[in-house]
Amino acid sequence: MIESGGVETLIRVLLPFECLQAPFMQQALLGLVLLAPMAATMGVQVVNFRMAFFADAISHSAFAGVAMGLIFAVNPHWSMLAFGLLVGIGIMAVQRRSSLSSDTVIGVFFSAVVAFGLAVVSRDRNAARDLQRFLYGDILTIDHDSVLCLQILFVVIMLFQAWGYNRMLYIGLNPLLAKAHKVRVGVYQFVFAGLLSLVVIFAVWAVGVLLVTALLIVPAATARNFARSAGSMFWWALVVSLTSAVTGLIISAQDWARTATGATIILVASCWFGVSLLATCGRGKKG
Amino acid sequence: MRPIPAIIDVAVAFDAVTVALGGVSILDGVTALVPQGGCTAIVGPNGSGKTTLLLALLGQVPYAGRIALTPNADGAAPRIGYVPQRLAFDRGLPMTVMDFMVMGRQRLPLWFGCRARLQAQARDLLAMVKAEGLAKRQVGALSGGEMQRVLLALALQQEPDLLILDEPAAGVDFQGEQIFCELLDGLRQQHSFTQLIVSHDLATVTHHSTYVICLNHKVMAAGSPRQVLTAETLTATFGLHMGLVASHAMPGAGPGCTASCCAEKENPLD
Repeated sequence: MIESGGVETLIRVLLPFECLQAPFMQQALLGLVLLAPMAATMGVQVVNFRMAFFADAISHSAFAGVAMGLIFAVNPHWSMLAFGLLVGIGIMAVQRRSSLSSDTVIGVFFSAVVAFGLAVVSRDRNAARDLQRFLYGDILTIDHDSVLCLQILFVVIMLFQAWGYNRMLYIGLNPLLAKAHKVRVGVYQFVFAGLLSLVVIFAVWAVGVLLVTALLIVPAATARNFARSAGSMFWWALVVSLTSAVTGLIISAQDWARTATGATIILVASCWFGVSLLATCGRGKKG
Repeated sequence: MRPIPAIIDVAVAFDAVTVALGGVSILDGVTALVPQGGCTAIVGPNGSGKTTLLLALLGQVPYAGRIALTPNADGAAPRIGYVPQRLAFDRGLPMTVMDFMVMGRQRLPLWFGCRARLQAQARDLLAMVKAEGLAKRQVGALSGGEMQRVLLALALQQEPDLLILDEPAAGVDFQGEQIFCELLDGLRQQHSFTQLIVSHDLATVTHHSTYVICLNHKVMAAGSPRQVLTAETLTATFGLHMGLVASHAMPGAGPGCTASCCAEKENPLD
């Protein structure tokens, strides 16, 4: 894994901002630089598969994950991950078998997990405070273990993207056509759902339940507007997410701003989206 | 119901295929054979289960009964090319026709571009369907007819033994449809695949098929177009009197059609 002393020097050279000298800020920066590209590249498929609502359901399962942590007396971080994964795979399995439309299936899961989480947590006053932390997220308190987990997940996600990007485009275009042409649709859908669940839960720690979907969708949506080919969509999503994450973190730490980091990042990404809209308008006039 | 004539080389055998979705019977004991080579058309009114039969064949719908695919010359399961009815896809997706053609063949992610060898292959396939000029266009901006040809090229990329087309006439004007059908006839002779089309357009079927299965939840008739497309079977299939198909328009019945695709059509199955 990355040597932390080296990273500190690198940050100092590349981003000579005063606010980035504090160790917790460097840790946060490292966490974001790992998380944002993961979310953005998975977001490309979330947009292609129209799974924004799916991602929303996973993020809201964080409440139930915290509740599970209370019941089994484990660190809520781990119970959130386990429960999010379970819900993601569960939704995918039901969705593939059921004749109900996918947003109905997700809607049912969504309400069930949120209700379960609130019911358990409402019995415990301390846990309610924990919940609020996950509602808004807090990247600035990310610890060393979490960053280590993010590094491992980053490698896994990028390998998965490299292995499956083209096939997932096929599936996103039309699953039936992909299946008829020998793409193993089921395998990709389940692996994607599982990995997406993990990314979403990590993102909940960083930007909070309310803004997770934005971290996935906004860079990918912006990339769609800028890109003219399936390959460049990936690069645009990376650029938009990385620049938004770093800029957002720095702005949020300025004295004049002092805003929540997650929210600031999403705002910067949304500005990117605005610019991309102008770009498509300009192209529309030319074409 | 007419007796099904004996077919020596069978590509697909449907044996008592039954599909019920949500308690509604869609296919009721469908038993039919698709002869090897040639163009087999499944005709029937809307909601008669034509597309469901294709979905069962593609393994997308649970069914009772048996669907047997005859192995290809190499003894492997036949390769299938599929051209969907109207591709329900997201037109906002930035993707060129070249990306579209290469994505199924290239493992290297498209972010690193398309390999030259695969690009050349894709261009050949596009040329085959007379779409060579479309390579750089956005998939979302194609017209119905252009999209149909690109989808055909994608299906041909599978080097299919069995080419399945769902309502190829939908969303294309009459002339475009004629050109598409003649293109298919030519490709079939060149590549000797079995073509299976679903259509409710009797004019197309009359001109371009060598074998017809009339379907309305069950098989109403099956055989060569001349045998099957008669007033009585059509009335039985579509449930109303069909005076549209005059017998002299049938292939092999004299001056009905002079298109090249009809001239060669002396049906071996009669």
